[in-house]
Amino acid sequence: MTDIVVTGLGLVLPCGDGVEAARASLASGVACFAELPAELGEGRGAICASFNPVGTIPPMQLRRLDRCSRFAWVAAAQAFDDAGLDPKSGSGDRTAIAAATMTGGSEATEAFLRPYYERGPAGASPMVFPNCVANAAAGHLALAFGLKGPSTTQLEREASGFAALDQAARWLRMDFCDVALVVGMDGLFPMLGTVCGAAGLLARHGDPDRDSGRGFLCGEGAAALVLERSEDATVRGARVRARLDALAHRSALGPSGRASALADAVAEASPRTPQRWIGGANGHPQLDHLEAALHDTRGAWPAPLHPKLLWGEFGGSGAQLLAAGLLVPAESVLVSGPSSFGGQWALRWDGVQG
Amino acid sequence: MRRVVITGLGAVTSLARGREATWSAMLAGQDGLGLLTRLHLPDEPAQLAGQIAWDEPRVKRQTLCETWSRVALAEALDGWNPALGSRRMGVFQGAGTSGLPIPEAYLAALRDGLPAPRMAEAAYQTPCTVTDALAAVIGAEGPRSTIMNACSSSLLALGQAWERVACGDLDLALAGGAESLCTTTWAGFSSLKAVDPAPNRPFSRNRAGLNLGEAAVQFILEPLEQAQARGAVIFAEVLGYGASLDAHHPTAPHPDGDGARRAMTQALEMGKLDSSGVDLVSAHGTATPANDGAECKAIRATLGKAADTVSVTSSKSQFGHTLGAAGAAGAMAATLALRDQVVSPTLRLEDPDPDCNLDCTPKHAKERKLCAALVNAFAFGGNNVSLALKRWEGR
Repeated sequence: MTDIVVTGLGLVLPCGDGVEAARASLASGVACFAELPAELGEGRGAICASFNPVGTIPPMQLRRLDRCSRFAWVAAAQAFDDAGLDPKSGSGDRTAIAAATMTGGSEATEAFLRPYYERGPAGASPMVFPNCVANAAAGHLALAFGLKGPSTTQLEREASGFAALDQAARWLRMDFCDVALVVGMDGLFPMLGTVCGAAGLLARHGDPDRDSGRGFLCGEGAAALVLERSEDATVRGARVRARLDALAHRSALGPSGRASALADAVAEASPRTPQRWIGGANGHPQLDHLEAALHDTRGAWPAPLHPKLLWGEFGGSGAQLLAAGLLVPAESVLVSGPSSFGGQWALRWDGVQG
Repeated sequence: MRRVVITGLGAVTSLARGREATWSAMLAGQDGLGLLTRLHLPDEPAQLAGQIAWDEPRVKRQTLCETWSRVALAEALDGWNPALGSRRMGVFQGAGTSGLPIPEAYLAALRDGLPAPRMAEAAYQTPCTVTDALAAVIGAEGPRSTIMNACSSSLLALGQAWERVACGDLDLALAGGAESLCTTTWAGFSSLKAVDPAPNRPFSRNRAGLNLGEAAVQFILEPLEQAQARGAVIFAEVLGYGASLDAHHPTAPHPDGDGARRAMTQALEMGKLDSSGVDLVSAHGTATPANDGAECKAIRATLGKAADTVSVTSSKSQFGHTLGAAGAAGAMAATLALRDQVVSPTLRLEDPDPDCNLDCTPKHAKERKLCAALVNAFAFGGNNVSLALKRWEGR
C-alpha cells in the first residue's frame, strides 16, 4: 500500500498559535480553562485568547469568516508553510481538503437566527447564512489557497478528524489528489454551552479531570496536517514529520459495544507497544470510560497524554489529537480516538520527528 | 477493483412514499411542490415547498430525517436481512439540517418568552445520529461516515460507499441522505434572493431561483459477484465518482462550470467511461440563474460532441431542492431511468435559456436508449461531485 506521510503541521489552540505553543503546553500540563467572555457563552472553557489572524487573513475576508473558519485558515497557512508548499503556485489544483468539525456552521447558525427571530426576514443576513453550512470553512480555504481537488467535511463527533484523515489518505492512494489538507476546527458560541450544559455533559465545578466523571469543558481551535504520498515528498525533498503507519476504525451498534470497538481499533492500529500514547479522554465518563478500559488492558504501555484535559473538548474534533501525536520525537505514537458516536478510531504514527 | 452494483433503493419524497410510486409520478410529470405547512413563516415571500406528506405521530427521540431514512432503508432492503459479517457492512450518509429544529425551537421560545424546550436533545440529535441509527437497523459495525458538504453531501456519500465496496473493504454499503425543511435554510436562501416564490423552472430563460424540498433516499451497494450469487435484483452499476472544488466564490458556481467539469471528467476517468457513452445527465439543475448556465457549459465542455445528443433532466423541478438529500434524489432519477430506459422530465421548461442549449427533457418524459449516466450535485463552498452510473444489462 502506498505510504502516506505528514509534511506540514499547523495549530491554533487555546494555549497559543503554532507548534511551539502546543508542544510547550503538553510539556507543562497546564490547563487552558478560564471564564468565558459573555459573547462566547457562560461558565468556563478554553478559548483561543491569543489568536491573531492579522497578517494572515486579509481584513476584507476576515470580516466574512466565522470563528472556526478563521482558526482553520491560520492553521492551514501554517501547515502549508511548514510543508514548503505554496498551493497558489500550482499544486492547489491537485490539493484536496478533508475537513472535520463537530460545531462548524453552528456558530453562524445562531448568529443568523437570533436577529431573524427578532426582526423577521429583515434580520436575515445573506452575509452570515453561507457560513451556516458545516463545509463553509472548506470553501473559504479553497478560495484562500486556490485548492481545487476533492473536498469533504466529516462530522463524527469527537473523532471527526480521524475520519477526515482516513478519506484524505484514500484520495491520495486513489490518485484523486497529490496533496491533502486535513483540517479540524471548532469555534465556541453561546448555544454550544447551553446544549452541552442541558445534556449534563459539562464539568460544573472546577476543570475536567480524567476519571472524576465530572464532565468536560468546551474548547476551540484548529489543527491542520498536510499529507502527501511518501514518494512525492521524497521527490520534492520535503521534510517528513511522520509516516502514517496504520489507521483503524471500528463501530459499535450501541453504547455497550464502544469499549470493545475502540480496543479492537487500537489492537489493529498498534499491535506493538507504542513509544508514546495520545488519548481522547475529556473528563466526561462517556469517553473516559472508553479510555480507561483501554488502559486496564495495556498496563505495560506508556501512560497516555490527554490533550483535551488541557485544551477542552471540540477544538479540532479529533484533529488536535492527531497533531498532538506529532509534537515530540518518537519512534511510534498511538493516538486513540474514542467517540460518543458509534465509530471508534485509532491511528499510529511512525518515525515522528517532532 | 471490484464491480459495484445497486441492489436496493428506497425513497420518501414529496411526490410519494416509496420508490416506484415516486418514479411513476415523476414520469407522469407530477409536481411535488405545494403550500408550505411544515414551517410557519408568514413573513417570507416564498410559500412553496416540496414537502413530504407525513401526518403520522412523531417518533420519540427521532428527527423526521431519521424516521424517513428508516422508511427508505426498509424499502431498499425489501425484506432482506443481510447476514454478512457485521464489520463488512458500512453506512455513508449525506446530511443536511437534521437536528436543527431543536435549537430553532429554543430561540423561538426565547423570543416569545415561553419555556425553552429541552436543549439536551440537541446534543444527541446531530446528523451522525441518523447514521448510527441506520447502522443499528442493518447491524453494521463497519465504517460509518457522515458527510456535511451541504448540497453535494449525499452524492459524495454514494461515492465514498462505492470506493469502500470497490476496493474490497466492505461487502455492503448503505448510502444516501435525508432532508427536512427548517427555518434556517428557508430564511437563508430567501436572504440570498435564491428562492423563486413561483414553481422553479430549471434551464428556462426566465428561471428565478429554487424551491426548497424534503426527501430521504437510501441505496444499497454491493459487489457484483455477491449480488449475483444471492440472486439480487440489480438496478444499475456504479462506475465511480469525481469531486472537485471551484475555489471561486463562497456560494456562486464558477461561471464556466470549471469545477463541475473537472468533477464530471474525473467521474468518467474513474469509471473508464468515454464521454460518447454518456446518454443522461441527472443535473444539479437548481433553477438559479447562476447554476444552470454554468452547469450546461460544464456538461458541454465535458462531453464535447456527445453533448448534442445527451439527455439532461432536473429532478428539482419535481422535488424542489432537497439540499443534503439532493444528490441521492438525483441518483435515484438516473438509476431508474437507466433501468426503464426513460428520462424523467424537467417540469415547466417552456422557454429554454439559450445558455442551456442541451436537450433538457422539457415537460414530458422521454423514452430512449440509455447506457450510462452522470449525476451531478454541487454545493456552497464551490463543492462539486459527479457520479457515473451504467445500465445493468445482465453482465
